[in-house]
Amino acid sequence: MDLSFIDLPFLVDTFFVALSGVPITLLVTAVSLLIAIPLGFFLALSRIYEIPVINRIAKIYVSFVRGTPIIIQIFVLYNSVPLILTGIFETYNINYSVYDIHPLWYGFIIFSFNTAAILIEVFRSALGAVDKGQLEAAQSVGLTNTQAYLRIVIPQALVVAVPNLCTATVNLIKATSLGYAISLHEITLKAKVAANVGYNYVEAYIDIFIVYLILCMTVEYLFKVYEKRLKRFRYAKV
Amino acid sequence: MLEIKDIHKSFGDNEVIKGIDLKIDKGDVVVILGPSGSGKTTLLRCLNFLESADSGKAYYGELHVDLKSVSKKDINKIRQKTAFVFQNYNLFNNKTALENVTEGLIIGRKIPKGEANEIAKKALNKVGLSEKYNSYPSELSGGQQQRVGIARAVALSPDIILFDEPTSALDPELVDEVLTVMKNIANEGTTMLVVTHEMSFAKDVANRVIFMDGGIVVEEGSPHEIFVNPKEERTKKFLRRVLPEDYTFHI
Amino acid sequence: MKYILAAFPELLPFLKVTFFVMGLAVLFGTFLGLLLAFAKMGKNKYLRIFANGYTTIMRCTPSIVLLFLVYYGVPAFSEALFGLNLQDIHTGVYVVITFTLQFAAMMSEVLRSAIESIDHGQYEAAVSVGLTPLQAYFRIVFPQAFVVALPNFGNGLIAILQEGALAYTIGFVDIVGKANLIIASNYGTHTLEVFIALAIIYWILAIVIEKIFALLEQFFSKGSRLFKTS
Repeated sequence: MDLSFIDLPFLVDTFFVALSGVPITLLVTAVSLLIAIPLGFFLALSRIYEIPVINRIAKIYVSFVRGTPIIIQIFVLYNSVPLILTGIFETYNINYSVYDIHPLWYGFIIFSFNTAAILIEVFRSALGAVDKGQLEAAQSVGLTNTQAYLRIVIPQALVVAVPNLCTATVNLIKATSLGYAISLHEITLKAKVAANVGYNYVEAYIDIFIVYLILCMTVEYLFKVYEKRLKRFRYAKV
Repeated sequence: MLEIKDIHKSFGDNEVIKGIDLKIDKGDVVVILGPSGSGKTTLLRCLNFLESADSGKAYYGELHVDLKSVSKKDINKIRQKTAFVFQNYNLFNNKTALENVTEGLIIGRKIPKGEANEIAKKALNKVGLSEKYNSYPSELSGGQQQRVGIARAVALSPDIILFDEPTSALDPELVDEVLTVMKNIANEGTTMLVVTHEMSFAKDVANRVIFMDGGIVVEEGSPHEIFVNPKEERTKKFLRRVLPEDYTFHI
Repeated sequence: MKYILAAFPELLPFLKVTFFVMGLAVLFGTFLGLLLAFAKMGKNKYLRIFANGYTTIMRCTPSIVLLFLVYYGVPAFSEALFGLNLQDIHTGVYVVITFTLQFAAMMSEVLRSAIESIDHGQYEAAVSVGLTPLQAYFRIVFPQAFVVALPNFGNGLIAILQEGALAYTIGFVDIVGKANLIIASNYGTHTLEVFIALAIIYWILAIVIEKIFALLEQFFSKGSRLFKTS
């Protein structure tokens, strides 16, 4: 098997180039999750309690995000958010040009927009899986609603949500690979730039592939460990 | 017509059947009693090869098999001559009551559809479900489902029907309807091997009772012998626990 | 606004291309996914490890990375290993290969969990009335597993359709590829309108598929009874 067409030194070098994109990938993922989790949670509550206007908006919002490809959401938002911002800036006389905004900020907005919608469904099903009796019992011993949620309901819902959260996080990391379209210097873009020099596309994409694989498997492993810890209460010994 | 010699079965390190001999003649109605964990359900499932025994010999009529190395063909042949009634009925959810009964006839025994439908309808009538030919299991009560399960077994005209705690999953009010059906087919001469906790069936219908505990047969005999004159201490202890009143009675 | 509406007639003809390519991917992917599901449930340890490993790798690989790996990798490897020159192969072939591989991974999980969700007692009852194991699976277990798998199959269908939107990155001219061509021919003006039109098309498609599958689920779990006569 003659694999000499693979440029080995390039393969190794580009691996580290690809790795250098990991921090940005992780940054975008982390910030997006930070914004999306509370947003998704409260919108999920609005769906469960059927709060009038917000309920409807949330439903349409989720339908749009789930019904359209991410790349198209990226294109639409990347082309429309600057227009919206320009409008806001002019109304409030902010002397700032939209063209000076680093693509990273757009990245945060776009990916949190996408992830929040996914999380609404994740939280809805997780909260729904917790027996209503738990909330009733908490209220009957005198806990306020907030306390009941924080101390009783959410911990139990979390166990159900974790596998889906893991999937959502992994999907988010994969989605950031599309960040090249808005010039985010994440994994894919960096390796592609390196590949363009000598046309070593095969090697570059093998490296990109490996980096994502390692990243995703690490994330899955961490989630599994976390899930095991959460499940302690189910198997507690007397 | 059915004979088992020295059957053994373990699950991992746990030996559940520790060498049992069993002989069943045509027309016998044999009840197996015993505490949970005694291995009685496992024994039944081994006879139908739903579990594979570790060792032992079995004679099904003319067919002689070694339980450790029985071939798939022989298993299928034996299943053509036996029938099984499950504790949780296991009716085919995607088929009507009639189809449940005809499935084994048409596919297993290659009986033409018209004839199979006739046999099935007769069997369903016998268990009192002539109104329910086209109902799906989800539309039937537990007692009705189990009666379909019995009709499914009876329609196959097997040499022997194996019953695995047929009434244990039923609400108390529904137990009687199933026991009545079982009594009727016993009176017709069907050979039955029944694992149950229903003492009334053992007392009134069985002609032989086997008491199992800890993987072996502790005692066996006629209902009178077991219930009125048990010899073994373990048998007495078990009967004292499961029969609330003083168990002197008359058969 | 009128630019959005103007985009539709230019885009819609290319929907056929998208359907054709993704249809093939779904067809091959389902078949491959079935094989993988059996491998995962089977007795052979190596097949199980392979099938599970395959699923994990597909789950962790972004679509464009897979697309480019296939697009550059398959010709490169086949040239080096088999001496085959694949220069003239249509881009669409690589698109089908990529999304077949992805869809198969999705389906292997959907089918496996659907089959495993069917109570084992159904199989036991079937063999106890004299069916062979194969007959028991095909007549009793699989029909029930099919109904269980239906909703998740529908979701997978929508998901792969959206992943397919990335085919344009290797130069494939489906509906998204055409959109980019339109934008280029307009010198980059009215990009937002064209993308909004694209988004609407995909959105409607997703909703239609959802509704169709909701109907299918209803039909298969209850509807067949509507046709029974006593």
